[in-house]
Amino acid sequence: MANLTASQDKPQGTQVPKRFAIVLIVGLIALGVCVLVSLAFGSRAMGLKEVLDGLFRPEVDSYSASVVQKRIGRTVFSLLAGGALGVSGALMQAVTRNPIADPSILGVNTGATLFVVGGIAFLNIGSANEYIVLACIGAAITAIFVFGVGSLGRGGATPIKLVLAGAATSAALSSLISAIMIPRAQVMDQLRFWQVGSVGAATWDDIAVFSPFLIVGILIAFVTAPALNALALGDEAATGLGVRTGVLRLVASAAGVVLCGAVTALAGPIGFVGLLATHLVRLLIGPDQRYLIPMSALAGAVVLTVSDVIGRILGSPGELEVGIVTAFVGAPILILLAMRSKVRSL
Amino acid sequence: MKPTHQFLAEDTVAGYEHKTIIHGVSLSIPSNKISVIIGANACGKSTLLKTMARLIKPESGKITLDGKPIDKFAPKPLAKVLGLLPQSPIVPEGISVSDLIGRGRFPHQSWLGGWTKKDYEAVAEAMEIMKITELANRNIDELSGGQRQRVWIAMALAQQTDILFLDEPTTFLDITYQVEILDLLTDLNRKHGTTIVMVLHDINLSARYADYIFALREGKLLAEGEPSEVITSELIKDVFGLDSTVISDPVSGSPLIVPIGRHHVVK
Amino acid sequence: MNNLTTNNTIAYIMAGRRQRSRRYWGVTTVLAVISLLLCFLMLYFGNTIYSIDKIARVLGGEQIKGATFAIHTIRLPRMLAGLFAGFAFGVAGHIFQTMLRNPLANPNVLGITTGSSAAAVYCIVILHTSEAVVSVVSVAAGLVTVTLLYLLSRRRAFSIGRLILVGIGLDAMLSSVITYLLQKSASQDVPAAFRWLSGSLNGSKLEELPPLVITVLVLAPIILLLGKHLSLLELGEQSASSLGIHTDRTRIALILCSVCMIAMATATTGPIAFVSFLAGPIARRLVGVGHTNIIPAGLVGVILVLAADLIGQFAFETRFPVGVITGILGAPYLIFLLIRMNRKGDF
Repeated sequence: MANLTASQDKPQGTQVPKRFAIVLIVGLIALGVCVLVSLAFGSRAMGLKEVLDGLFRPEVDSYSASVVQKRIGRTVFSLLAGGALGVSGALMQAVTRNPIADPSILGVNTGATLFVVGGIAFLNIGSANEYIVLACIGAAITAIFVFGVGSLGRGGATPIKLVLAGAATSAALSSLISAIMIPRAQVMDQLRFWQVGSVGAATWDDIAVFSPFLIVGILIAFVTAPALNALALGDEAATGLGVRTGVLRLVASAAGVVLCGAVTALAGPIGFVGLLATHLVRLLIGPDQRYLIPMSALAGAVVLTVSDVIGRILGSPGELEVGIVTAFVGAPILILLAMRSKVRSL
Repeated sequence: MKPTHQFLAEDTVAGYEHKTIIHGVSLSIPSNKISVIIGANACGKSTLLKTMARLIKPESGKITLDGKPIDKFAPKPLAKVLGLLPQSPIVPEGISVSDLIGRGRFPHQSWLGGWTKKDYEAVAEAMEIMKITELANRNIDELSGGQRQRVWIAMALAQQTDILFLDEPTTFLDITYQVEILDLLTDLNRKHGTTIVMVLHDINLSARYADYIFALREGKLLAEGEPSEVITSELIKDVFGLDSTVISDPVSGSPLIVPIGRHHVVK
Repeated sequence: MNNLTTNNTIAYIMAGRRQRSRRYWGVTTVLAVISLLLCFLMLYFGNTIYSIDKIARVLGGEQIKGATFAIHTIRLPRMLAGLFAGFAFGVAGHIFQTMLRNPLANPNVLGITTGSSAAAVYCIVILHTSEAVVSVVSVAAGLVTVTLLYLLSRRRAFSIGRLILVGIGLDAMLSSVITYLLQKSASQDVPAAFRWLSGSLNGSKLEELPPLVITVLVLAPIILLLGKHLSLLELGEQSASSLGIHTDRTRIALILCSVCMIAMATATTGPIAFVSFLAGPIARRLVGVGHTNIIPAGLVGVILVLAADLIGQFAFETRFPVGVITGILGAPYLIFLLIRMNRKGDF
């Protein structure tokens, strides 16, 4: 059973969750398989032999080799971005103590997108670094705003309040994005990209710029995991256990925002990956953050890469942006959570 | 005076989707009297009331009004005879008092058409009975809890039914308002002969204001009769699991339950 | 003596009701006049501005070079599409909000318009079917979405919060379906994308309008007839049913009517953002409670769509589709409403 409410999110002491080893191994195998699949599928599908040849013996068939080479960059990026989104989702859920918090549901990646689009349109920014900085600012502002609106009133930030605040904010921001884009023919080509995220355009340079943010974010997540376990018991209990909850929230949510902002800056808004990954993992190994966070990274990477492959298959001869696929696969998780929760915890 | 009606429940079994709450209750509502259903929390008082008011479909058994099963009535004609005030009515935000009470006139109105003279009279009369005429054009949001409750009862009165069911009409009210509401309902019964059936929480107020008592335990009818006959310390023990002595209420002469706890007992 | 006081009370109640009724009719008349004015402006403004006299002659059937084309092919269909779609969205949204007693529970947020839109896109962009088929399929899709919504959010205790969460989830899924279909159609056509994702009056054609117009003209009177029943549903299940209505039948009838109207409007203009959400609460603000407010809500819908479209067409250097404007106007109101509801503790 998934633990749907925060009060059940109790850390299990120091022991390793049941089935962790199996889940880890299966996860790693899944990761390997999806790398191969991601290299093999596309507008031109290739057999396993061709992929392996392309990877390791480029001299055999230069065409396969070049296609595979191209797909390597994309695959690496989608693995990294998926991992980042998975961790970002896990962090936001832990910080808000809310099973439904995910960057896309909170509107955070729409906020990041708006800032990038605004930067391109008004400030003429063009480098990946600038994209990421602006995206992080946008993501942070949106996160603060949405959480502020969602936690007004009795009961604090309940799932329903957060989702509604996120959906409303997201709708407002995407209208603004459209309003900025429509008059600007030169960015119009990328319109779809900024409305639905895609990993197709990622380059090795992007990956190089993106990696430091990813590393810092994930390191923070790992370091704060034990304290986040304490936070799951409630603010008072966490304080009693010696956690400075204010600082913890600030640091952990900053990491969550940076991870999501960096992905959005380079890939556009990709939704529901964090939600899907964390709930899948929680279902398998339980709520201990020390295991949940790394496994969410793994699950996020698998989810995003598989979704990207599905997008390439469904969309052929062109391709379907990965954001469309993740929304379709991930939104049912939201419905499932809504169906399972008790009325009072909504 | 309102006409007499024969309202019967026979071997009624009812409840919600996965849980049966009423296990075979048979009763006859005394016409033109005030009846009160008493019982511990979750014994099925409200469920019984709602089942008799056709809001819950019974699993088995028969509920009849003047010999005709209530589910055979068309909703509008039945609504002219039988009204119900739910426990927590829902208020449309910002509606005026008289408009809200006027909605109680629905069973007497045509599909379109505005208010007739009769509608105005009924609404005015209901407001007079509940002593809220001066609130007519106020906004419901501005009223206190006690005033709101009177508005709700007035809406049920405007429906001008012969039988009126009330589900805990005094909950959430201060004791002053509780007595006031019960007095007003008694006026209604004495002046117009309206048959009143209500669920009440307070056993002593029930004993005072009821002409007839139905005592319920775990979905079964345990005892019924006039308060002076049925309210005994044995019954209170059976229904509530509470030790008590029953004395005569110095004000009304009706039975008064004095609970016996573990402390403060004079030897 | 007693009779006299009763008469006084009646007079007092009557005076209050008359005052509220005056406000209702006054506001409704003003809304109707504004709607008509906007309809006229939709015909009047454009690349070329024709005199009122010319517009009248063109509408009368006279052939005038340039004007006939501009008005008959571009401005009139656009105006009619906005008029009927705005009315349909306004009325249907108001019905959902009143029935579910929550302004957030409107076809827009719950994903019903998105469901119809997805079906319409599939028929128009992929299958290239006739208008009749599009209409039928998008109505069916709207009803399927409502049914799904009901089945998925039906648990032991009904909760409006759960319904809305499920609706938001469905909406996200269905939007991704629309995007997929648009992409599949290989027409990398941005205007079409806007029409089906946030609503646009661009490219409305006279021959596409009959299903919408007929639906609104037939269903609006039925809904008005059910107005009193709607105002009882607002009092909650128990009160409504003890006042003598078949609550289930009434609800189904109202849902059928409103989903048909929404689906037809969506098949014509796309799901114009936030109109079905905004119209009801604005009408309520203006008129007050106590009346069924169906017509005012419809008129506010018309005004929102037409005004937003005029703003989108002429207020800026670039032309914006109507949905972008209603989105920018509507979303802050949604946030404002959320803040207010949260403070009051509605969720």
